[in-house]
Amino acid sequence: MKKKIVSLLLAASMVATLGACGSGSSSKDSSSSSAASSDSTAKADDPVQTLIKNTTGTVDLTLWCSETKEYQTVMKEIVDNFKKEYSDVDFNITIGSESEANTKDDLLKDVEAGADVFAFADDQTNELVKAGALQEVSTTYTYDPKETDTDGSLEAATIDGKVYAYPMTASNGYFLYYDKSVIPDEDAGSLDKILADCEKAGKTFGMEVSNAWYLYSFFKGAGLEANLNDDGKTTDCNWNATDTDPTGAQVAEAITAAAKSKAFKNLGNDDQMAAIKDGKMAACVNGTWSSQTVSDAWGKNLGAAKLPTFTVNGKQVQMGSFSGYKLIGVNAYSKQTGWAMLLAEYITNAENQMKIFKATGEGPANKEDQQSSDVTSSPAIAALNSQAEFASLQRVGANFWTPGNSLGQSLVEGKYSDAQKLLDEAVEGITAEVK
Amino acid sequence: MDNTNTEKIVIKAPVSKRIVRPILRHVWLGFLSFIWLLPIAWLFVTSLSGYKGINTNHFFPQTWSLANYKQLLFQPDTVANFPAWFKNSMIIGVFTCIISSLFVMMTAYAFSCMRFNGRKQLMSFSITLGMFPGVLSMIAIYFVMKMIGLTNSIVGLIVIYSAGSGLGFLILKGFFDTISGSLRESAKLDGASELTIFTKIVIPLSRPMIVYTIINAFLTPWMDFVMAQLMIRSKDPKNWTVAMGLYNLVQKTLVGKYFSVFCAGGVMVAIPISILFVLMQKFYVEGITAGGVKG
Amino acid sequence: MEEDKISLRQYFVKFGTAVKNGNIFTKLSLIIMGMGHWANGQYIKGCIVTGVEALFIWAICLIGGTYWPKLGTLGTVQRKEQFDPLTMQKTVNNFDNSLLILLFSIVGIVIAFFFALYYIYNIKKIYEVQQRKEAGLHVNTFKEDCREMINGKFYVTLLGLPTLGVIIINVIPIVFMTCIGFTNYDIDHQPPTYLFTWVGLKNFHTLFTSSVSDSFGYVFIRILIWTLIWAIVATFTTFIGGIFLAKFINDKRTKLPAMWRTFFVITIAIPQFVTLLLVGKMFGNNGIVNGICSQIGLTGFLEDLGIISKGLGYIPFLSKPGWAHVMIILINIWVGVPYQMLSATGLLMNIPTDQLEAAKIDGASERQIFWKITMPYIMFVMGPSLVTSIIANINNFNVIYLLTTDYTTTNMRFANSHGNEVDLLITWLFRLTNNYSNFKMASVIGIITFVICVALTLLSFSKFLQGDREEEFQ
Repeated sequence: MKKKIVSLLLAASMVATLGACGSGSSSKDSSSSSAASSDSTAKADDPVQTLIKNTTGTVDLTLWCSETKEYQTVMKEIVDNFKKEYSDVDFNITIGSESEANTKDDLLKDVEAGADVFAFADDQTNELVKAGALQEVSTTYTYDPKETDTDGSLEAATIDGKVYAYPMTASNGYFLYYDKSVIPDEDAGSLDKILADCEKAGKTFGMEVSNAWYLYSFFKGAGLEANLNDDGKTTDCNWNATDTDPTGAQVAEAITAAAKSKAFKNLGNDDQMAAIKDGKMAACVNGTWSSQTVSDAWGKNLGAAKLPTFTVNGKQVQMGSFSGYKLIGVNAYSKQTGWAMLLAEYITNAENQMKIFKATGEGPANKEDQQSSDVTSSPAIAALNSQAEFASLQRVGANFWTPGNSLGQSLVEGKYSDAQKLLDEAVEGITAEVK
Repeated sequence: MDNTNTEKIVIKAPVSKRIVRPILRHVWLGFLSFIWLLPIAWLFVTSLSGYKGINTNHFFPQTWSLANYKQLLFQPDTVANFPAWFKNSMIIGVFTCIISSLFVMMTAYAFSCMRFNGRKQLMSFSITLGMFPGVLSMIAIYFVMKMIGLTNSIVGLIVIYSAGSGLGFLILKGFFDTISGSLRESAKLDGASELTIFTKIVIPLSRPMIVYTIINAFLTPWMDFVMAQLMIRSKDPKNWTVAMGLYNLVQKTLVGKYFSVFCAGGVMVAIPISILFVLMQKFYVEGITAGGVKG
Repeated sequence: MEEDKISLRQYFVKFGTAVKNGNIFTKLSLIIMGMGHWANGQYIKGCIVTGVEALFIWAICLIGGTYWPKLGTLGTVQRKEQFDPLTMQKTVNNFDNSLLILLFSIVGIVIAFFFALYYIYNIKKIYEVQQRKEAGLHVNTFKEDCREMINGKFYVTLLGLPTLGVIIINVIPIVFMTCIGFTNYDIDHQPPTYLFTWVGLKNFHTLFTSSVSDSFGYVFIRILIWTLIWAIVATFTTFIGGIFLAKFINDKRTKLPAMWRTFFVITIAIPQFVTLLLVGKMFGNNGIVNGICSQIGLTGFLEDLGIISKGLGYIPFLSKPGWAHVMIILINIWVGVPYQMLSATGLLMNIPTDQLEAAKIDGASERQIFWKITMPYIMFVMGPSLVTSIIANINNFNVIYLLTTDYTTTNMRFANSHGNEVDLLITWLFRLTNNYSNFKMASVIGIITFVICVALTLLSFSKFLQGDREEEFQ
């Protein structure tokens, strides 16, 4: 057997649900044991060996991950390697196609019939935990995410101080793509200049403002907040604040002013990609998932940067953003909890995060991987990294989205008479109790 | 129908009626056909496009290729496995078609041609049942099926599509009602059982409507993606139906790479259904002669 | 209604007489159901009936014993799990699943209900046979009973399986979902991890209180009105369009009718969801129709006219209220007319020819024939199906869902209840359950829709339902 890093407190209570294993002490413990347990002979108390010994018959596991060809291929490879790693056990692992964005909706219809191991976007962590669908990562066996993965990615997997998932990628946020032949590098920092350049060239700039996920960036940039309350369900939001500088209404009017530009297009991801392929669009706010299409269309003219600044009340304000992670979760209703956890760990270890990056272009959450030259040389990842200081974790309640989308749509259309009233209504919806 | 009569009208008619009107009639039909066929034409030409995404500028593709069909039929990947979808849908379609056509005919006959206690109440009750929003009971149907152990299987879908079909008896019943009662009475006097009357008299007389019923029953499983998505928990494309699979291809993450493949799939699905229509069209014509028997 | 009451009373009275006047074997049949049959010499039937009884007792012990006692609370033991980090095994307590408790209880009640009907029927039957025997009349053998099933009692054979199917697929789920409206089954109370329980009429109260953030009532009324408008307009436009098209094509002055018919039928051959998605993409804000409209300057022209707001840059075919409503109806005509044309064609070819001949001989004009003979005939056969069509359109999920995937409302009240202006009740329900797990509100909305549909149907179509015109055309 390969080296196993057993990061668990043997003395600690066997009851994982009751005692939230102190995260600090457990990681300390693992660092010492990682050096010690290089011995390949199986110890009687090595849980993995015990598990192998106790496993009889075929282990059936289902894994859900993104339906794109790149993901499916790399996951197949990883799963095959996993089978080799534990060659003593007979596995039957099925890989299913499920968009990470839909995992929650699909899984919660019948948790018991869901996948044992699944990938999901970190905005679903809260609701998955609330529904009891995620197995807590109380103990890790082959590596410790707390040491190897970035703090942000771990925080995305943590609810109420407990870790519920294994970080896989750290590049699920958004940033700016632009066509250098239309927008010179020095203009890419300002939304006004981008729009002016686009107008001049007869091209467009795409951003899906009618999606609360993107709309957030304007308000966040101006210092207004939308956060999850302590109850874990409702959202605290001050986008309608009148005592801040700038006020919510000023931000709203700034968005409308920008959207008035002929070049500004409020388009969804697929429409943006179509417009870019057609050569109509010269810049867009989008994420790593689009890097292939964008670089195919623009080639060496491809530019990627942090989000630009926009003009509020005559001042330039840097746009904020949601950072985004893809996580691997283990189903709390899995019949093979042990193996599911080991598979989840395997998929998200340093080596395989690198593999996933190479296959899909999505940046790893592993600290070491992030330093590798392959990763740092990717323009998309570099852009995300420069956006990172303005990005914040996605922690909003279920009622954030629909009113947020609606607010975005209203602001883009600009057909409201009183920005303050519009914001007040939107905030009332966003902060409403979940009924 | 009556040739001499028609000829008389033609001879008598003034020029405007004889020449202009028929032309207008056909121009109008041509215009309607154009409207109706336009999207279908777009589907067809896009399925031959060399460009995978949605073409928003041009009706006709700039590059033509058969690659979409090749990919669809011979290169199943992790997202699209058309041969398997087609096979699944075909199995479901055929069985659903047989079972639900039978169910519809049976209930229609019982309600139209037989008299028994509680008949009217039962009819009102079944019409009332049909008014409950189907989407709402989906999750309950899922758990009922899970209880029987039929989730995630083709059999389960066949049961779902056909078991409730007895509720859709109204149209056929309306048609059965028009079949002469004396015909049945005289058959009974000759010693025919109800079963004989059902199979030997009523069904042959109702061919056109039964064809309509059969076509409807066959189409259901090819159209539904919502129920199928809920019932088929497997995320392996080879277990999906055509509707599920094609719907998945136009989801946000995939549409840019699979739109023309989706169109090719739409064209391919039309083939079995068109064959069905061509075969069934014959029976419509036969319906004319059947009409002659009625009094 | 009066008649129903009397027949219902008679139903029980007859049962009473059967029990009172029955001989010892008939009375014993109250316990062992086959007893009377055996006494009357119907041995096979007796065994079958007793077998059914045994099966029922077994099922009711299984379901009733486990689930009925918990029906009052819908379960009290919440799931708790323990993960042992050393063996990597998990132990889970024996927890209650509210959903399964409710579902199985209902299944049990439905089984018990039908058994009770059968039980009463059986006693009456035995009494009847006993009387026949006493009067020295012939008692049916098993073979004769079987033959009766394809003759006088053929309806039992015909309706048996379809009824079973409807009970499984329709009745049980509907009863279940109706019950959900009186519980707190939502995102915070999702089985299997959490329990839900009865809350009485609280959810109905929520529906009828309205504020900006709590706008279920506001949205419900608006969506309901649009749903009804949609159902009626969509049904009649396609119905009338289909009949006229069929008439037009089947007219003997039309050359090549088969060709024209094929043109329209092709649109049915391609599954609805494919064509709908396609048409939805064509009319999208960034779709090909908008592309062409802005190329030929139509978009700019409409902007100048003020029909669409300045600087929009596209015609909001499917993304603004008003525009979207009209487009959806038009697209539905496109989708629905070929179907109606097909069924109307079948009918037109089957109009009793002698009536048409007679009318022609009498010198009736074509128009007169159409309105006096053809239309009444079509209305007679298709009339009842109009009821089903309207109901089908109230529940028409595909058209609305597939055409409005990109629709974002700008009305906050709609947004706060996760609805929008072009939603039908059914698409709204779908979103509430599918994306927000709000089963309790969805159920309440479903119940009210159901009640409204039933009321409207009974009021306006009672004639069709009563079936009192069945003999008219025979």
